[in-house]
Amino acid sequence: MLRTNHALAGLILLPLAAFAVPALAAPKTTPAITANALQSWMSSDLQAAWTAGYKGQGTTITFVDEFSGSDPFSGNWGTGAKTQLHGYWTTQETALVASLATIATHDFNLGTTVALAPTGLNVLNLSYAMFARAGYSANQIGWSNQETSIISYARSGLAVISKAAGNDSVAMGTRTRSGLQDYLGDALIGAQSAIFVGALNTNGTTAKKATLASYSDTAGTNKTVQSHFLVVGVQASTTGLAGTSFAAPIISGYAAIIGSKFATWTPTQVTNRLLTTARKDTLLNYNATIYGMGEASLTNALAPNSIH
Amino acid sequence: VAWAHRVYRAWLRAALVWAALAILWPALSYAQSGQRSLDLIDIHQGGDLSDLVHFLSFGGYELSGVDTDGPPPFQSFGDWYNTYWRDFSAEWLLTLDDNFGITFGLSTGERGEKYRIDPSIELGFITQAHPRPNATLTLTVATNYWGHLTEYPCSADYGQGFQTVNCRLAADPVDPAETLNYLLNEDPNRLSIRLTYSVDF
Repeated sequence: MLRTNHALAGLILLPLAAFAVPALAAPKTTPAITANALQSWMSSDLQAAWTAGYKGQGTTITFVDEFSGSDPFSGNWGTGAKTQLHGYWTTQETALVASLATIATHDFNLGTTVALAPTGLNVLNLSYAMFARAGYSANQIGWSNQETSIISYARSGLAVISKAAGNDSVAMGTRTRSGLQDYLGDALIGAQSAIFVGALNTNGTTAKKATLASYSDTAGTNKTVQSHFLVVGVQASTTGLAGTSFAAPIISGYAAIIGSKFATWTPTQVTNRLLTTARKDTLLNYNATIYGMGEASLTNALAPNSIH
Repeated sequence: VAWAHRVYRAWLRAALVWAALAILWPALSYAQSGQRSLDLIDIHQGGDLSDLVHFLSFGGYELSGVDTDGPPPFQSFGDWYNTYWRDFSAEWLLTLDDNFGITFGLSTGERGEKYRIDPSIELGFITQAHPRPNATLTLTVATNYWGHLTEYPCSADYGQGFQTVNCRLAADPVDPAETLNYLLNEDPNRLSIRLTYSVDF
């Protein structure tokens, strides 16, 4: 049996991070950009939410990510070029989207149970995968307390789980070209409050439809995956940061903002709201096997289906 | 049908106002003898509360689009806050002597799908003095009764069943229940006092 308490791991913890995008040169002066300036990589939907004063207050987003290590990389969210570890990139991205959400961090090398906030909506951001050689069955995986708690939260609907889909250009739940399988992703398939997040090249509009980033995993033919799969724009050309690692934090921020509006909703209700209000008309040649439920739309999620 | 009903009610209200005037006219006509006179001094449509509601009618938002194919449908506020008959007001001055008169007026109120402005009456007086032969100091006092603006809520479906919300804020990032705190519930200005001083050159 595989153990994943990291001393014995046959599984490889792998942040689904930036690649293939050259690091941006640091500007000579760092422009002063406030935390809630709408950056070019963001959807314009966010401006209306911020204008109304909703920035994720009352919610907690916990990042299970890499916060210790020796492999920093460069990028720029529009607040100044930096070189830092993966976990700091993902947390800062969400902090720019939902600046009043409480941000908690949990180093994924710990392997310990991930704690949830006692009150308010909980969101977990998982911009990482647990890879191992394909072919093991679910009952052969011996999860650490960390993944055991995450999977439990997703299945029992205790937290919105925003999980990066993967950067291998394959369907979710299938093996990569190098023969690896993301067993964490597999374990979350069918969980009531899990969302798999793929990456678009840009934010889509009806006039300028978006396409899936070449690296992004797709929803595939599994209907269960399709019904929990969203896509969002990851504009690496302006940030230097590519990968579904940076798609999931946007959904985490959206979930927090929705949780601010619907303060009494359960994580599963917030999850379903994001999934059912995704747009298909902003995507080029929409197909559920590629885009799942479609491009997440904060505006749609906040608006009523009908009113009279 | 709703449109026809609104027009009917508006015209009925206007007819009642003019009928009241027709009844009052003979009773007041004595004032037109001697030093006294009765003059129509103002007639207009709109007002502070009517203008406020009219301003709201220019907004709108997209619905979630869950129930439709293609782009999300747009919900215009114009459907809720427009009216075919804006608040109509008329005001008269009953001059009792050279320096004192009584003002009184009526307004019809107005009604839209999501609001109502009650009819109102206005009573007041105007008095003036001449501190210098070529100067006039004028005090105008007017009070207003009724004319309350009430905004009605909507019923919105966010995918979890219908709930009562403020129509205008249903798509804002505000808790649906909290939006009800922002329903308009306004009185018009109840008391107006104006003091003017003019000099003839």
